[in-house]
Amino acid sequence: MTASRIVLIRYDEIGLKGKNRQFFESALLKNIKEQLKGMEGLRYSTPRGRIFIVLESDQIDTCLRNLARVPGIASMSSGVEVEPDADIIAQMGIDWIAPLLEQKSDLPFCVKTQRSNKKFPISSPDFNYEVGSRIMKQLHDKGLRVDLTHPEFELEVEIGHERTVAFYNRVPGLGGLPVGSSGQVLTLLSGGIDSPVAAFNIIKRGCRSHFIFFDNQAFLGRGGYDKVLRLAKKLNRFQGQGILYVVPFGDLQVSIRDHCNPSNRVVLYRRMMYRIAQELAQRKGYLGLVTGESIGQVASQTLENLAAVSGLCTTSVFRPLIGTDKVDIVQQAKRIETYEISIEPQPDCCSVFMPPRPVTRSKIPDLERDETRYPWKPLMEKALGDIERIELGKVV
Amino acid sequence: MIYLDNAATTPMDPRVVQAMETSMREDFANSGTVYKIGLDASEKIEECRQTISELLCLPSSHRIVFTSGGSESNNLFLKGYSFPGKRVACSGLEHPSVLDTVDWLNDTDEAIDLKPFQKEGVFQPSGIRVLKENKVRLFCLSHVNNEIGSINNPSHWIPDLNKTGPQTKLFLDGVQGVGKLPITANTWNGISGYSVSAHKINGPKGIGVLIYDSRLDLTPQIHGGKQQYGVRSGTLPVPLIVGFTSALKLALERRNEFENRAKELNACLVNGLKDLERENPELQLTFNTPVELDFSQRSPYIVNFSFPPVEGEVLLHHLEQKGIYVGLGSACSAHSREPSRILTGIGRSKQEARCSLRISFGAQNKLEEVEMFLTEFKTAYEALYPTFRQGTLTK
Repeated sequence: MTASRIVLIRYDEIGLKGKNRQFFESALLKNIKEQLKGMEGLRYSTPRGRIFIVLESDQIDTCLRNLARVPGIASMSSGVEVEPDADIIAQMGIDWIAPLLEQKSDLPFCVKTQRSNKKFPISSPDFNYEVGSRIMKQLHDKGLRVDLTHPEFELEVEIGHERTVAFYNRVPGLGGLPVGSSGQVLTLLSGGIDSPVAAFNIIKRGCRSHFIFFDNQAFLGRGGYDKVLRLAKKLNRFQGQGILYVVPFGDLQVSIRDHCNPSNRVVLYRRMMYRIAQELAQRKGYLGLVTGESIGQVASQTLENLAAVSGLCTTSVFRPLIGTDKVDIVQQAKRIETYEISIEPQPDCCSVFMPPRPVTRSKIPDLERDETRYPWKPLMEKALGDIERIELGKVV
Repeated sequence: MIYLDNAATTPMDPRVVQAMETSMREDFANSGTVYKIGLDASEKIEECRQTISELLCLPSSHRIVFTSGGSESNNLFLKGYSFPGKRVACSGLEHPSVLDTVDWLNDTDEAIDLKPFQKEGVFQPSGIRVLKENKVRLFCLSHVNNEIGSINNPSHWIPDLNKTGPQTKLFLDGVQGVGKLPITANTWNGISGYSVSAHKINGPKGIGVLIYDSRLDLTPQIHGGKQQYGVRSGTLPVPLIVGFTSALKLALERRNEFENRAKELNACLVNGLKDLERENPELQLTFNTPVELDFSQRSPYIVNFSFPPVEGEVLLHHLEQKGIYVGLGSACSAHSREPSRILTGIGRSKQEARCSLRISFGAQNKLEEVEMFLTEFKTAYEALYPTFRQGTLTK
């Protein structure tokens, strides 16, 4: 048999946002409902500064697992609704703690009460004492002791206007801001390790990210396409409603390969990727481009080469990883579960398209001269016209 | 879709699917049990064994062990017979499931290089004395080479092997041979082990057989319930065995007809490619399949050719865009971009190996499909040549 439980969601940062709070809160609630839409019978309520979900005890694990993917949640706990009565809450605490003491002989603990209902007659410290002393009386000889600074077990009580909740297992959320509260952006996904992490960071700041991938199936087959599609789907779990745009890039790549200075090739490819991404962003009303670039990581990411692409853009270009070390990027990629996909071998045509010595300090006049040597404008128009649009929420 | 990669795998024959579907519904019982439905399953397997034995004209000395396919059959015989301590050799141009197993079994310091004793993938009897000198106890060859299609027909030199090195046993990887080459009772003279796979002959994946001389002791590689003479434990998959048997039967029933058509397709392809080469001075072909040899020494089902400087993998993807599926001339593994050892083993350069395709025919292919391939190959090659030609830039 299952019993009714409560999941309590906290969202610190939004709480600070003054008059915009209502807007952020409703965005968060909407995203939470979207993330949990597969679960039945959930009941939501939103007392000041909190979101409560009433559910069955066997739904808790799934609920918490899904909520861990919602930006804007500072932390969450599962607990039970109780009467604001020290005897009842202490008994509940004993029921939770006693089994833990069967495995260990020393357990530091404390009680923490928050009282948003100031009409409740007992102050928070007093209530802590009332509950804590009752529990200690029962369990101190089994190894329980009070430690207010480094407790291993924290029994928390929230006494609100509508309900009182007791809980103990606070788990951190993603933090950040709810998606939809900061507008839409377009992330350039390559299939590597960095760009998915960059996208995640920007999603976490409340932006809905769409994705653009430059494909060359005539040369590389479907390997890259399938990989990027899976990466985009992984990232979309943090936001929903994302779109992946796949741009056929083969003709441009061949034309640059055949007509331009070999050492400039990589920067020239990237200039076209930025141009196309910017054009698409402007047509769709997306407010920035996002890339996974990090200074000096590869030849194309020197300051000179970054300038050679940024200079083309009037749209904002966001590079959340610009100062992040590779090891840290890899760790983040593992956490968001994109790493294993990113490291799958991807067909690349280094021997065809990559020059033996790519330029590390490209000069813009040289690049512009190269760009008079091939018909990039019509090729770009053609590529834009042939974009494939994939709604990530609708693909299996 | 035009599918010309039948040496990789083949589409299943609908009649095989039908036979398997019935078997999947009806023959669920464990063939090792002693009640009626189990005994029925066991009987069905024995019937299949008998049918296969007759279809392949096996002598009574040779037995059939069902495995998961060609790779397992090769591993089971090579390891089961040789490990530990018996020296093993191969020509160096075998499938990785033979080549890597030989490498694993041998101490690398004493690797025996037999590449000088093959010509275009065909083992030359002059190598027999090397086998004797090196005290090789098991010698492994492909019946039909999986990348270039050359045929080893050991009946020509088995008397010599038996005389010069009577202790050397011979194993043939028959995965590309069965269903395509004629197999008679004489085929088995001097063959100690032979592997077959169902999915190369329009059967299901996951089933093959090892045929071996039962007078030899094989150490099992999978221990357990002691099924199949204790050589290969594991509950037998009746529907897969039914599928294998049905596919083999169908392949052999029309073997002559298919072979004649494959010869036609082969000639059309080889001549068509030579025509393209004549018309286009920028196309320089090297046939990796020994096309000058007659069909007793090369399989009509496989044509492998190089066309540097255009990379085979890129050309493959260009053809894929047109719905034409072909094989790489030199399969590189998922973990390495290095071309396989077969083309470099017959003396081709790494560039020639990378710039190659393998066309392999199956029962379903038609002449129009080969013509379509030639047209699209020409278009793709011409489109790609400028991109691969070096030194195009004028600064």
